[in-house]
Amino acid sequence: MNPSTVLFLKRKFQGHYKKHPPQSPPQLNQREWGFLMFDPGSGMYRHKAFYNNQEMHEYIQAMVPAHVYHSTAYYEHPSASTMKEKSWLGADLIFDLDADHLPNVPDSYKDMLKSVKNETLNLIDFLLYDFGFKENELHIAFSGGRGYHIHIRDQKVLRLDSAQRREIVDYVSGTGLNRDRIFKKKTIEGDSKRSKVLMFPSESQGGWGKLINRKIITFLQILVDSEDAEKNLIDFKAIGKKKAIKIIDTINSPAQLEQMKNGNFSALSFIPADFWENALDQIIPTIKVNIDEPVTADIKRLIRAASSLHGKTGLKVIPLTLDELSRFEPLVDAVVFGDNEIMINVIQPSIVELKDERFEVEEGRNILPEYAAIYLMCKGAAEFMEVLK
Amino acid sequence: MEIDKFSNYPFLTRTVQYVADMGTPVDNILTSRSFDITRYRARSRVLQAIHGDIQHDDTVNFTVELLSYAVARIMVSCLNDAFLTRRYSLAEAKYAYHMMKQENNEVLQEIGEDLHIVASVTESGLFYLHFTDYIRGAVRLRSIQWKLVNRILNSGYVSITKEEYARLLQEAVRSRIIDALPLNVPDEFCQALEKYLLEIKASVDISRTEFDEAGFGNVESEHFPPCIVHLISNAQGGINLAHSARFALTSFLLNIGMSVDQVVSLFNVSPDFNEEKTRYQVEHISGSTGTAYKPPSCTTLITYGNCYGKDKLCETIRHPLNYYKRKKKTGSAK
Ligand code: SF4
Repeated sequence: MNPSTVLFLKRKFQGHYKKHPPQSPPQLNQREWGFLMFDPGSGMYRHKAFYNNQEMHEYIQAMVPAHVYHSTAYYEHPSASTMKEKSWLGADLIFDLDADHLPNVPDSYKDMLKSVKNETLNLIDFLLYDFGFKENELHIAFSGGRGYHIHIRDQKVLRLDSAQRREIVDYVSGTGLNRDRIFKKKTIEGDSKRSKVLMFPSESQGGWGKLINRKIITFLQILVDSEDAEKNLIDFKAIGKKKAIKIIDTINSPAQLEQMKNGNFSALSFIPADFWENALDQIIPTIKVNIDEPVTADIKRLIRAASSLHGKTGLKVIPLTLDELSRFEPLVDAVVFGDNEIMINVIQPSIVELKDERFEVEEGRNILPEYAAIYLMCKGAAEFMEVLK
Repeated sequence: MEIDKFSNYPFLTRTVQYVADMGTPVDNILTSRSFDITRYRARSRVLQAIHGDIQHDDTVNFTVELLSYAVARIMVSCLNDAFLTRRYSLAEAKYAYHMMKQENNEVLQEIGEDLHIVASVTESGLFYLHFTDYIRGAVRLRSIQWKLVNRILNSGYVSITKEEYARLLQEAVRSRIIDALPLNVPDEFCQALEKYLLEIKASVDISRTEFDEAGFGNVESEHFPPCIVHLISNAQGGINLAHSARFALTSFLLNIGMSVDQVVSLFNVSPDFNEEKTRYQVEHISGSTGTAYKPPSCTTLITYGNCYGKDKLCETIRHPLNYYKRKKKTGSAK
């Protein structure tokens, strides 16, 4: 990034912050702040603390950082330079969902953000139903970059240490899930003989049990509903024609389905264990949520401030309610800059998808609307030349 | 809870208050002939803790049992030895667990409240508690069934059996005791107890040497990566390691040249140490050559939550063995 680009971006960010300063997190005076500047090689400014909004706004007006972060933690002395002196009091529980941590993300920025949003909604299900957080306790934000953050500030979680937070991470990611506890053969003592019954968790059980029950049933239904159901089933190891037909009949029976929802899979006890193992291999990855795990386990992390601008995209960090999240279009709603024409020198051929527009630019001189030009400059893919109008 | 149970749970807030209200001066307890039995019971508590479990002694009365806890803590504080403090806290907690298991639900709930692990009891007799309270205790119990992911978690609450609840409380008791030690005790107190302290110290030293001999031999433990150091200190602190952690630790130690005996004795402090079973497992990992299994890589350790305290050097390696090798090299080059 050359000096004239730096200057241009700083002016633009400053202009924006004048009208729309970043938001302070609750307990402002117990937070540490950190900043990254546009000037290459200037390093991170840390251990800053502000006693009120105005102080923070003035600092940002004056320094115009490219990235604005504050601690997830609360400290007695947030501006002290060592952790020990800071004296940790607690920390928000944070989840970071980022395209870098999702398997098979699409290349296009828009589609990528769509799949991260889906993942975020899956996580929210866990947080609401399993962990019992209330909707208004989930502080969701678009990160301005490649994903979403969720902050939880319920008193009960603030003092959890790193290992304890790790348990929450392992829960949502299914790490350490004990498969032996998921499906078991239960021996039932009858009048004269003992019989083995296949048990899964029931749908009413909640948590992973419920999800596995539902997904196993869906998995079976999809298999059975397809046109070549019989053939598909026979493709599984140790399932022949007779068994395939029996499976199809069982799944198609509403009474049996009801039993299965309650966790009783005895009608399918004849299916070999391999089949279930295989089914679980396919199902578990669809239940687990992919988050940036160390972020949640870290109790001393810095996180991007709400309503600040992301220095690598120029997009705004937008706080969202759950309702707003479902309607949110990041590449439209988080764009804050205008349409003036800017001439830039593109260094890397790029595609920009913003505000429902798509620009493909080649190396060299290009004229783009300001918001798209800023995006490319922030990315380091272009240098500033001049403002046309 | 009836007052006559107080002597079983001397660490509870109510009990501590009760003892304070008794108003017996401490120096009296430490010096007067009439408290001989109390001091003797305190000595047994500590000595038994060093070697394993505190035994119930039904020849002593309520007051002796109650006050002996206070004296035992003073003894441990006078010696102020990390190894002893750890062993002692664990043994007291196990002793309490033993009794808690037999309590009725109300008493157990009352103890839980005091320890800030509040639970209600469901119609089916299960204990119902908030997941944050659950993980504060369960996180130290490293076996897989304690992981939150293997529990039924619904609207923020987990249900567990009475015995499991008592086990969680044991953890909380252990932390409460260890966090409060050492107490700030005046020198006169320690002088008054000197004869016992000498005896206890001797016993600690023996126990520690046994431990050291079985310990690291030629192996240079200061070159261990942070995760291994952490696992060792957990194992020595009597914390049950999860299967994955046990495997990582065992295979690492065997690979750098520790013997099966040395590794087995390392685990000889966990609450449910079973020599035969442990030996079998370690031998299995060791194979006939001592290196049948390679220790897991950092990635695997991270996945199972066993990477702990990552440092600068960690960023340059992908395998804990390489950490050890590098550190050894740079160590000898100095
Ligand atoms: S990075 Fe590897 S060596 Fe370092 S602590 Fe983690 S697991 Fe151990």
